Amino acid sequence: MGIIRLTVLALIALTALTSCTQVRPWERGYLAREEMAWDSDVLERQLNDHIFFSKEASSGGNSAAGGGCGCN
Amino acid sequence: MTKQTLTAALCIALSLAVNSASAVEEGDPAPDFSLPSIYSDRPDVTFEGLAGKTVYVDFWASWCAPCLTSLPLYNDMYNKYKDQGLEIVAINVDNPVEDGLDFLLDTPLDFLIPSDPDGEMATQFNVIGMPSSYLISPDGEVKLVHMGFRPSDMEMIEAAIVEHLPE
Amino acid sequence: MKSKHSRSLIAISTSALALPGIAQADAPPTAPTLSYKISNYQEDDLTREQVPFGELGRYDIDVHQFQYVAPLGRDFALFIDANHEDMSGASPWFSTANAAGEPVINMSGASGIRDERSELSIGTRYYSQNGNFGGAVGYSEENDYRATYANLSGSRNFNNDLTTVTLGFSHSADDIFPTDAELFNRVQNEDKRATSLAVSLSQVINRVATFQTALSITEQSGFLSDPYKLQDSRPDNKTQIAFSNSLRYFFIEADGALQANYRYYHDDFGISSHTLDLSWFQNINRSFQVAPMLRYYSQSAADFYTNIDDFLKPLTEPQSSDYRLSAFGAFSGGINLIADFGDWTATLTAERYVANEKYSVYAVNQPSPALVQFVRLSLGVDYSF
Repeated sequence: MGIIRLTVLALIALTALTSCTQVRPWERGYLAREEMAWDSDVLERQLNDHIFFSKEASSGGNSAAGGGCGCN
Repeated sequence: MTKQTLTAALCIALSLAVNSASAVEEGDPAPDFSLPSIYSDRPDVTFEGLAGKTVYVDFWASWCAPCLTSLPLYNDMYNKYKDQGLEIVAINVDNPVEDGLDFLLDTPLDFLIPSDPDGEMATQFNVIGMPSSYLISPDGEVKLVHMGFRPSDMEMIEAAIVEHLPE
Repeated sequence: MKSKHSRSLIAISTSALALPGIAQADAPPTAPTLSYKISNYQEDDLTREQVPFGELGRYDIDVHQFQYVAPLGRDFALFIDANHEDMSGASPWFSTANAAGEPVINMSGASGIRDERSELSIGTRYYSQNGNFGGAVGYSEENDYRATYANLSGSRNFNNDLTTVTLGFSHSADDIFPTDAELFNRVQNEDKRATSLAVSLSQVINRVATFQTALSITEQSGFLSDPYKLQDSRPDNKTQIAFSNSLRYFFIEADGALQANYRYYHDDFGISSHTLDLSWFQNINRSFQVAPMLRYYSQSAADFYTNIDDFLKPLTEPQSSDYRLSAFGAFSGGINLIADFGDWTATLTAERYVANEKYSVYAVNQPSPALVQFVRLSLGVDYSF
């Protein structure tokens, strides 16, 4: 299936990147910034998840799911 | 595919080798250093210039929360032991340097603060986490390597400093 | 914007090491933070062309979100979330054909729907030098729906904290008890279960870029139909797969960051979808940020979707005219204004969402006449003690 192949490719690409990049501990200032976080505004992300869950058929992603609602 | 895996394995091995080769450990001679002060109107900070003193070297950045917790506590310790021969060298690795200066504006510190935006000294010490600090005895030997910081660590750090103050 | 407190002294830091970037969530919070966000979103009215008789107005929803996050001892954090939602308006009830054979909508009761939803969840997390582990339990209640859920997740950093692997699990048990069930011959009491597993891998690429890839699988079972629709019958099992990829890239010269997320989704109702969202966080100065965002979404139709209900078809055969199961595309655009005043942060958000079958990348055999457009406004405030 397409997804599996994509995942495997992504994993290989990441492994290759992993092994040959070294971002030293003192070079992580930009990575530490709030806008670089995976979840830079938790309430905003939760609200969006909830709204789109109630308007679209898709759900799921990279964070742990909450409970359902009568909205879908 | 096999070739890629091999390359990856090689890279990992290489990076491990690089990382473990030059880590400064307890008992090692301290790396020599010479850096400009973060304040443009103050003299350079050199290891030579601190001969005979007990030197506490700390690597910090404004984006590192535990670093910012540690600095005011180090300032108190510095003022307590400076007359007995303690020098603190808090090497700032912020890039841009302004970020570091900005923190110092709100939190003035009395000890030496050299600037190392390109990480030259951090590379020499092979810092493996932020913050990292090194206690160097007056004879130039690394007596303590400390990584990370919690306020409760101060007790242990202070004890080590007192033990290695110049005679 | 710099992390909160980066310029002020933190009294108690429970995190021993700075592990930013991928491992940013790997330190417990340095100080308690209380957040509140109020939002309103209003769906556009339908037209007389779409709805020949009755109400044209759709949902108008107010959402209040509270979150309290605090360090707990040296290595733990506490999370408390409370949400309250007020809904009023009407929603599509069934779909028929007009004289020209085009699908038209019949809306639910003239008096409209009023509902409230309250949710509470509490969680904790343990942080170690190379990862974290935690979970939460939650409860959500409406006058016709109840959900009880729990989740667990753990992360571990490898490779000098440049790589993070996260595993997550969640389970929700829901009860459905529609209002006026007897009057409208609706189901009276049904239940539904959902279980999810997620795995993700994050990697620091260089000093300004990180990448994350994630796969989640959700299994739903029980009553998955819409009890309020006149002719709605869906299979009682659904497997959903979502494959997500995220990039964060900081542009030093521009002093801004790009957040890009792409998700591919597929379920065995026959729906596939693509979601792409892009945000640009522009730092104006140390206190202000402007973040425009753009999102594109498109899904294919469920195998059993119909835009004109077939009342002769037995309910044992799956069928639904729910617009959310039709093929469509949607664009949304918005802007966030973020102001940081030391211990206070305020965020103002405006967003416009427009769904249309013309925006679909998938074939649209039966366009839905009930696709949604809405405007959302939010104001959020964070305070760190």
